[in-house]
Amino acid sequence: MEYFIQQLINGITLGGMYALIALGYTMVYGVIQLINFAHGEFFAAGGYVGAIALGYFSGLGYMETHPIICLTASFAMSMAYCAYLAVGVEKIAYKPLRKESRLAALLSALGMSIFLSNGLMLTQGVYDAVYPSELFQGRFDFGMVTISYLQIMIVSLTACLLVGLNLLVFKTKVGMAMRATAQDKTMSALVAIGSNRIISLTFAIGAGLACAAGIMYGLYYGSVRYDMGFVPGIKAFAAAVLGGIGNITGAMLGGLIIGMVEIFGAGYISSEYKDVFAFIILIAVLYFKPTGIMGENIDDTRV
Amino acid sequence: MKKRVLSIMAMGLILVPFLFATVSAKTLKIGSMSPLTGPYASDGTDIKNGVWTAIKVFEEAGGIPGYDKIEFFPQDTACDPRQAVAAANKLLNLGVVGVVGAYCSSSTIPSSEVLDEESIPMITPASTHQDVTDRGLEYMFRMCGRDDDQAPAAAKFIKESLGAKTIFIVDDKTTYSQGLADGVRIAIEKLGVKVLGHEHVNQGDKDFSAILTMAKQKNADVFYMSLQGYSPAAMMTLQAKRLGLKSQIVTQDACFQPKYMGVAKAAAEGVYLTYGFTDPTTPEYKAFEERYVPKYGAIAAYATYAYDSTTALLKAIKAAGSTEPAKIKAELMKLDYQGVAKHIKFGPKGDSGSSYIAFKVVDGKFVPYWEPVNGLIK
Repeated sequence: MEYFIQQLINGITLGGMYALIALGYTMVYGVIQLINFAHGEFFAAGGYVGAIALGYFSGLGYMETHPIICLTASFAMSMAYCAYLAVGVEKIAYKPLRKESRLAALLSALGMSIFLSNGLMLTQGVYDAVYPSELFQGRFDFGMVTISYLQIMIVSLTACLLVGLNLLVFKTKVGMAMRATAQDKTMSALVAIGSNRIISLTFAIGAGLACAAGIMYGLYYGSVRYDMGFVPGIKAFAAAVLGGIGNITGAMLGGLIIGMVEIFGAGYISSEYKDVFAFIILIAVLYFKPTGIMGENIDDTRV
Repeated sequence: MKKRVLSIMAMGLILVPFLFATVSAKTLKIGSMSPLTGPYASDGTDIKNGVWTAIKVFEEAGGIPGYDKIEFFPQDTACDPRQAVAAANKLLNLGVVGVVGAYCSSSTIPSSEVLDEESIPMITPASTHQDVTDRGLEYMFRMCGRDDDQAPAAAKFIKESLGAKTIFIVDDKTTYSQGLADGVRIAIEKLGVKVLGHEHVNQGDKDFSAILTMAKQKNADVFYMSLQGYSPAAMMTLQAKRLGLKSQIVTQDACFQPKYMGVAKAAAEGVYLTYGFTDPTTPEYKAFEERYVPKYGAIAAYATYAYDSTTALLKAIKAAGSTEPAKIKAELMKLDYQGVAKHIKFGPKGDSGSSYIAFKVVDGKFVPYWEPVNGLIK
């Protein structure tokens, strides 16, 4: 039982990170029906900017005196940077192709992904960038079950971001405009919703969330590397499809399921094949329900 | 017509530098193969730096008679067998007379077959898997130790020095890491230590929480971690400490890299690992240290072995007075001198002997801790 609970905690931590990345895929798909394959690179870029910002604060010695302020500032700066990067990528690589076939934009996305990943390698080097380790070093022990402060921080921050996003999309005017654009660009333009602005905003929010996931990833695993966006990007994409692409709640659920299946597959069956289990679940769900878990209400809640 | 004459003249001009190049400069070409990109890029770069340092030192000491300079061609294998074979072919086309490399055993084994067909001597500074030299290739040499020496040494250390009764083993399924893990498992079972689990992870994994939870539940005395490269090992160490794994972590030579502590930091304290013994008090080592450290920073895993491999190769070529493979091999077999990392003398298979001891991480440094013959070191 304790073993099960420990694996559950591990699964939630990992799944939460996947969920944050998956949201970016699903939101962009909801608005412009594009799979943004460069999304994993926003996650990697976030990890690096976070490493640079935290390393800077750590070097100044503020990390020990004001850890919360440093962390908040690093998150804010990195998320702003990634949002800016994503808006730029959208303007350069996707906007000129919006009227062309979807395949053209998809290829452009793949190219952008390779470009950004190699850009990171050339500017930041091939070595791991190390995260400062002063933060959240303690842990709680309940018998055999261990929860580290870092896990608590990651899970609670993830939850806050997910709740915040839900409020933004379903309770505010901007969210309403996003949902309207997702449903019908022409109609929403007629009621004075600027679709360009909304698309940029969607990219910015998605990249901001991926960036937050990137920093948490760096804090949790201790270091980041230029090619770290690829595998989590693919898993998060699978999560978005699993949940029903275009559906926000579905992406959150999908991320958690992929994370859980991976951890439980490794913990109970075989860690060699843990990636296989995640994709078996994906195939099984799509076989019986091709629109994904939350796919049925795709028309009224997608963004 | 005029145009044609002009274009012929222009083409002739293009050829001029090539004509001169073939006549004037006589260069000796040496290649290296190691991962310069990808997860093991730092170890690969250490090897490249070691080879480069050796060439510079050798040239300053007079070089090789009859040659103006030694040209160095570092190739990237990315620890990928296919890329390693491509790199070996490229080096053949460049006309190298000897190769230092590769890093991953899974790269060294296929690429050495390509080089051996053309009788190009290859000295690996880092590939420890027994099959590297056990296949009976004529021109394959090894500067580092062998895993079938490392595994019994590690097993003896775990049993005798740590007094372990149970062990949990993890590897990441590469030729090297799994071969070594299997070796340790066999050796330790013979010594009567119970293996509570032997699990595998994948290369490139970052999250080890599932497997570490399993290890924590089994609560073995020793957690033996055999991963390819320091980076996943550092992540696993970090996550193990965070999860509260009580087992003593023991690992292997791939972690002998200051960056391991750079990532794992405090979590690395008290970790044991096996690595070849190098006497840091020899004049050879001190000279290397003075030369290497100011330029590339702390001496890491295989820089010393790469330096020794290159020096051995160049010494053999110089003594042979020829680049004929058979003569170079004959001279390599005759070598008997104190290098930077160890005393160099190749045996009939091309191995130069192992000297595995256990190190302990103390205050962010690798400190020699135990050796197989006399036990604890001071």
